[in-house]
Amino acid sequence: MSVKTSKKEVEMDKLQNSVQRIILMCSLAAALRYWLMLSKYQSVIANHVEVSTPMNSWKRVSEGLYLLSRNIDPYSGDLLHETPLSLFFYKVLLNVFQQQIHWMFITFDLATGILLFATARKYMSQLYKEENANKSTFSKDALQYLLKPTDLIKSPFHVLLAFLFNPFTLFNCVGYSTTVFHNLFLSLLLFSMVLGIPIIGSVSLALSASMSFYPSILIIPISLYHINIFKSVTKAIIDIIIFIVSVSLITIFCSHYAKDFGYLKNVYGCILTVPDLQPNIGLFWYFFTEMFDHFRDLFIYSFQINATLLYLVPLSIKFRKQPFLLTLALLFIITVFKSYPCVGDVGFVLSLLPCFVHLLNYCQQGFLVGVIFLIASSLAPILWYLWIYCNSANANFYFGVTLAFAIAQIFLLTDVLFAQVKREFILEHGKERKVNGEEGILCLE
Amino acid sequence: MGLLTDPGAGQGKFIKALLQYYSKICIILYFSGIIWFCALAYPPMNASTYFSENALLPGLVKSQFHEDKLASSFHNELLDEMKKYDNSIPYPWLLAKFKQIGLDTYTHNFTLYSPLNKKEKYSGKNVYGILRAARASSTEALVLSVPYRPPVSVHPTTAPSIAIMLAFAKYANKEKYWAKDIIFLITEHEQLGIQAWLEAYHGVTCGNENTLDHGDLKGRAGAIQAAINLELHSARIGQMDIKIEGLNGQLPNLDLFNLASKMCAKEGLYHTFKNKGQEYHRDPVKEWKYYFKNLIAMVATQATGIPNGNHGLFHRFGIQALTLEGFEQSKARGSSKVGFVSIGRIIEGTFRSLNNLLERFHQSFFFLFTPLFRQIHLHCISSFCVMLCRLYMPAVCLIAGALFIKSCAKWFKFEGSTNEEKRENTHEQQEITELKVDKIIFIFLLTHFCGVLIMNLPQYITLICDQYNYNASTCIFYTLSAISAVFLLLPYLVPFRTCERSMNMLNILCMLELGTVLICLAMNNFSLGIFCAAVSVPVALLVNPTSCRYYSVLQRILWLLTHPLVVLTTVVLVNTYLMFPDVKQKEIISRGLDATQQAIVYSIVDSMIYGNWMFSVVTSIFIPNWLCFWCIAFSDIKKPKNLLTEAKKTN
Repeated sequence: MSVKTSKKEVEMDKLQNSVQRIILMCSLAAALRYWLMLSKYQSVIANHVEVSTPMNSWKRVSEGLYLLSRNIDPYSGDLLHETPLSLFFYKVLLNVFQQQIHWMFITFDLATGILLFATARKYMSQLYKEENANKSTFSKDALQYLLKPTDLIKSPFHVLLAFLFNPFTLFNCVGYSTTVFHNLFLSLLLFSMVLGIPIIGSVSLALSASMSFYPSILIIPISLYHINIFKSVTKAIIDIIIFIVSVSLITIFCSHYAKDFGYLKNVYGCILTVPDLQPNIGLFWYFFTEMFDHFRDLFIYSFQINATLLYLVPLSIKFRKQPFLLTLALLFIITVFKSYPCVGDVGFVLSLLPCFVHLLNYCQQGFLVGVIFLIASSLAPILWYLWIYCNSANANFYFGVTLAFAIAQIFLLTDVLFAQVKREFILEHGKERKVNGEEGILCLE
Repeated sequence: MGLLTDPGAGQGKFIKALLQYYSKICIILYFSGIIWFCALAYPPMNASTYFSENALLPGLVKSQFHEDKLASSFHNELLDEMKKYDNSIPYPWLLAKFKQIGLDTYTHNFTLYSPLNKKEKYSGKNVYGILRAARASSTEALVLSVPYRPPVSVHPTTAPSIAIMLAFAKYANKEKYWAKDIIFLITEHEQLGIQAWLEAYHGVTCGNENTLDHGDLKGRAGAIQAAINLELHSARIGQMDIKIEGLNGQLPNLDLFNLASKMCAKEGLYHTFKNKGQEYHRDPVKEWKYYFKNLIAMVATQATGIPNGNHGLFHRFGIQALTLEGFEQSKARGSSKVGFVSIGRIIEGTFRSLNNLLERFHQSFFFLFTPLFRQIHLHCISSFCVMLCRLYMPAVCLIAGALFIKSCAKWFKFEGSTNEEKRENTHEQQEITELKVDKIIFIFLLTHFCGVLIMNLPQYITLICDQYNYNASTCIFYTLSAISAVFLLLPYLVPFRTCERSMNMLNILCMLELGTVLICLAMNNFSLGIFCAAVSVPVALLVNPTSCRYYSVLQRILWLLTHPLVVLTTVVLVNTYLMFPDVKQKEIISRGLDATQQAIVYSIVDSMIYGNWMFSVVTSIFIPNWLCFWCIAFSDIKKPKNLLTEAKKTN
């Protein structure tokens, strides 16, 4: 009896401890964000193209809200690229927060962080249970590579830390970019995915898909999660049905709110055909400023297929047993190849990486990727300044940096995916890699 | 993706070679960077100069300026007028002349609240006239500016340049071909006046708020395309020096420089850069030596980030500008002096060429260095890329690359090996090599916080000094030195000084930071970048967490020598020695220390008024980085135990 209570006490202690730590971290992060938002750096950060793109700048949203309040159609010009639903949402939020924009952004950012923390916790314990259940099928000398109980406690905290104190998400929040809200729905989606609740998952997926289109491909990992982890095909089907229903409901609401379908052209038309070529950290702007007009359609198609469908099928087949990793991979691909990416997207994806702490030993490019990230993110604002203000550099330089940034992300993703393959192999065959008595090496073919 | 998924990549041949030879690679990289930089001065290493902007059509028109008598009479009148105004600008006379000529004439008032003492207030007045272009609406403009210097000024007079400017304005006003407005600007208080005028013209504030009140302009022309600043010290000119270095090491477009030198050559005027003309040597070594001296002179000026003329403040606004400084005495033997006619024709030619510009200067982007006079490297065809990447950046990248290589080698040595070891035998190694990530990050952030503290210190010190009526400039200097000395104790706060792995991790972080900062710095101000790289990198490469006591003392002493304050003092002392070679050593040291104090205070004031980022960059980035390395130099690692036991066994 006494042993049991002490165990319980320890657990309670741990829980309390973790709650305290979360509160401490969140308040620190909130203080940091609040200080930056009130400082003179806020406008500098908010005006950087790395932070706010035509899709997510708060300036455009507030302009749109103003036009709406004057009964002018905000979609008649080339100004606003948010859906009517998001406009309605921001309007309600502004009322709730009584125009305290900074608290609004801080609250939503912290909520995203906590949701990610919960997601990571749930996911890690699921993975741990699954590995323990399958222990007998693994090779004996590979057992030391399984997840350890300490990982279960540590890595969710690392996820939270990586989200709250990541400079990318920090700038995203301080720069008032609406990616903060997109990230919230994405994290809600991840959370309900690992919990196995189809309704919340599909609705938040529909919301984020309606906001920025690209997440709609995440329906596949969600369904796979239901099928392969919770072993329930019905849930997957329900999921898809709810997704379709909620997307159509959202469309109906939007067309009602905007009074016609003109918003479609300004929101999805802008995402898909990329008319606004303001530079950002993505790869679209440079190509399409250089492109001859009669090739434009062809390359729009190929770029968008590259961002959405090209990797979807092979990755879904290869990693169907690890749908969470598949989600990460797809999020990465969207971030690299979407038409208007910003640092908020990158920060969100990067903060999920601590969930894959078990793959760390198999990753090889960590240093290289880190150095490229460091150099690219410090050179980007400098080259922007030299190009735009000093008139002494040019677009090629800025594009070079964004290209390096994209390459670093792709390296990272490939490394993580390959690490998963290697780990599977080692768990199955043991750490000895002898082929006919000689040291063999693993290759991907 | 074969490169990525190659399983041997982690501990493959490449990494093994790197681990084995990295120190040699670092040495080779460093010296090749230095050699590359030195070789830049050798003419065959540079492409020869030519105009990349065809629209300029330099010197193709027949010069018609002939108002030299008018200029002389203006000069005499002005000299008389200046006697009446001891310490300010004779603006009624200037206004009257501008109006007589027929320009739109305005004055501009500005006020400076001294950043070190809020009670002190200086005010000044600029005078400018705008010649409205006959052939275009006022969308584009050119500037001809002259700093006005009263008789009490320590600088040599510029009265002849005002005279020639007025004469040229009179001449230009009659001509029909102007497609751009010309602004004739006479500024007061040297760089303050031009800064205030530019801020008012563009409606922005570059420095701190409430320091320079730039006032308002009543008349404007279009976007300024180019500016020429005239500083003629005599009515007869024997030598024309072209000055280009601007604020924060920015440089104007090469075409403008070439244009000015071509115009001088056309009028037969001996023109120089850094007080050195073009020389031909048969011996390539001598030739290289000569040009290398020029290169070093330019690097020295550019690295300070302080403009060497009023042109330097235009660059920030994307305006190409340079200064023509005319001296009566010429260094060249047998060269003739020219009068107002030729100078007027130089100005006329330059402005008529600029008038031809169809778009902003854009072809030859960076004007980096001119070690040679006519042989300035710049290639056309959107060539900034080619030129910057091919000629200059490799020098810095090679040197910074040494840091990346070393950190990469260290990473694989410690991180790679621990991963392997973990796989081999998990339990034994882990306790010793536990990586204290949170503490490393804490120390890293703490040092940067110290840097930010130093950066913001001057503002608070001036506030305190205001209250107690201390002299702010001496206060700032002594507080900064004291605080720097206190921060030297920082290594004793490091909790993991005995942990080799953590110290190495910190070392890797610092090296990456330093390398990145050097590259970023070189993108903005190449000279400063190469100077910092050449000074700090070799010592930074030597700093290692070590268990050897002698080595650790040595690296502490060496690293102390690269402290920004020590480097600054050394540079200033050397400079003083070169300027006054005859003075006694004691005198030189005391003068040098005074000058150091002045330099620090001026850099702070400059950052507050002009937005010069030298002080901010050094305090917020270099000092924290320096402190991190300093902590590493104080590492206190125990000798590995197994080695000791092995040694015992052999005994």
